[in-house]
Amino acid sequence: MTVMPGISRSVLSRSLLLALLVLGATACRGTIDRRVSPDEPDPVGGANLRSQDIRTMADKAVREIKASGVLLRVPEGQTISIFTQGLTNESSDPINSRMITEKIETELLRAFGGDLIVLDRSPEALEAVRKERAAKRSGAVANTSGRTSPVLGADFLLKGKIQDRVLQARDRKSAYYLVTFELTDLESSRKYWKGDYEAKFDSEKSVIAR
Amino acid sequence: MRLFAAFACIALLGACAIGMPRVPMHRFVGGDVAAVADAMTEELANGPRENEALVRNILGQCELMLGNTSAAFGHFDIAGRIMGNWSTSGGEEFAAIVGSESSKHYRGDPYEKGMNAFYLALTYLWRGEPDNARAALKRGILADAEVADERFQADNPLLFWMAGRMSLLMGLEEDAASFFAEAQAANAFVAAHGSLNDRESVVIGAPAAGNVVLLFECGMGPQKVSGGRYGELARFRPVGHPAAGAEVFLDGEPLGRSSVISDVDYQATTRGGTVMEGIRRGKAVFKQTALVAGETLLRVSAFKKGNKAETAAIVGGALILLGLLTTTRADVRHWPTLPGSVQALCADVPAGAHQLVIEFLDGGGRVLPELRQEWSIDVPEAGESWFLFRSLPGLDRTTTP
Repeated sequence: MTVMPGISRSVLSRSLLLALLVLGATACRGTIDRRVSPDEPDPVGGANLRSQDIRTMADKAVREIKASGVLLRVPEGQTISIFTQGLTNESSDPINSRMITEKIETELLRAFGGDLIVLDRSPEALEAVRKERAAKRSGAVANTSGRTSPVLGADFLLKGKIQDRVLQARDRKSAYYLVTFELTDLESSRKYWKGDYEAKFDSEKSVIAR
Repeated sequence: MRLFAAFACIALLGACAIGMPRVPMHRFVGGDVAAVADAMTEELANGPRENEALVRNILGQCELMLGNTSAAFGHFDIAGRIMGNWSTSGGEEFAAIVGSESSKHYRGDPYEKGMNAFYLALTYLWRGEPDNARAALKRGILADAEVADERFQADNPLLFWMAGRMSLLMGLEEDAASFFAEAQAANAFVAAHGSLNDRESVVIGAPAAGNVVLLFECGMGPQKVSGGRYGELARFRPVGHPAAGAEVFLDGEPLGRSSVISDVDYQATTRGGTVMEGIRRGKAVFKQTALVAGETLLRVSAFKKGNKAETAAIVGGALILLGLLTTTRADVRHWPTLPGSVQALCADVPAGAHQLVIEFLDGGGRVLPELRQEWSIDVPEAGESWFLFRSLPGLDRTTTP
């Protein structure tokens, strides 16, 4: 049977099949939704600090602080207290730096246990403490434990900085990140420990984005 | 039946092209941003994922105008991450090259990335994070450096100027001086190359001045359209809107007129050619050639017999089909709710509550009464206050972020 003058139906079918094979790869893609380990390489891409980096830098900082012994040099019966400050972000990648310091606090408590007091010096926490103490003192709420104490002072401050060096030329970009941490004695201002974490990314821009 | 199925398959393949989200622009221009926000929320939930960054950007703007800075921050943050990601999957790349370019994820042109950086920086600043605001601006500056035409790379004074002010808030004076110098150089360059920027801009000339920074989004940004025989060329055309500037009164006294810090139309039209444009042109040539060659082969097959005729007919038919199905149209998705320009006015204002009246002006300096806005602002004892106003009707509010 012919569908057009000079062209049989089977010829047309095979033409369509050939065209389909060529175009097959342009088919719409499905979506992905699965749980992955935070240590798994980031499939999304991007020249940014990722979950792997945050976990690694927190782990590295706490290991180095513990190895330095700075926070363990106290007279018998006393405990060092410390608070962390969000990292100053000087890079070109906006990041919630509290996430990094929160992770470090968690790792510090895990590593030092009862040998270290981590203080919450966030404005929200200080405000909550102020309000609760005022309520207790006025008798508006009960002081169930019966204890009163001054707000604890800190012996050390852990702070840091995120910096980057981004080089970009046409379709290539490299981004070097340097995250530095330092532990400062809040009596003497002496920096007892300083550590850093480095990461570098090399990206090539997709042809469809150029 | 099988023929019909094959055609249906091909039609499905062609259907991967993603169009512009349905933005009710008449409502936006009329100031009904709540309706636009509803439409974009619906689009975000049920529209194509490939448009997520675009939809979130529009939604972010609407939330800003509705006073929901926290929600706006979330949208601009996610959109910025999508737009700033350079990597794509092999499948997406192949589909955009071989099939329709608009099957890819929207990541925006450099001027759109710059505007995302601007909004994101403002929302970070309002969250009390000048360092992240500066990071967003630096990312916008890097995106502007992706412009293909090297003469127009990193020439957005707005981003440099704001990065300088954020540096001052961070206590980094040397960095601030460097950013301000870049802002002045960029401003002089764009002013000399046809932008609306004022060469003698008061704001850029005294970049650190004032404890109150008033930003104005005037007019409407450009529209991206396709051109060329097969729609393979992406072009910008300006969108008419009367607002060209703003005049401000504080507590009944004139405070001054705004000056253009970023001409969005200029930033869009100076992006230069793209690699994809070359590919689309190549596809247009292929499309034309395939159609001609296919037709020729079909004609030849009519004069031959046996296997040769069959082969010529198969290849000819395939070529015609490929030619017909080759999508050459440029991806013209764009951010339609951007302003035509971002303008600024900085002033030293005493701490306390103040009444602010903004009169938007047309190109001839005449007041546009329907766009008049009255605001109550509260200036703190220390630090800086930043405010953003849009030249749309009905956006008066008594409080600011």
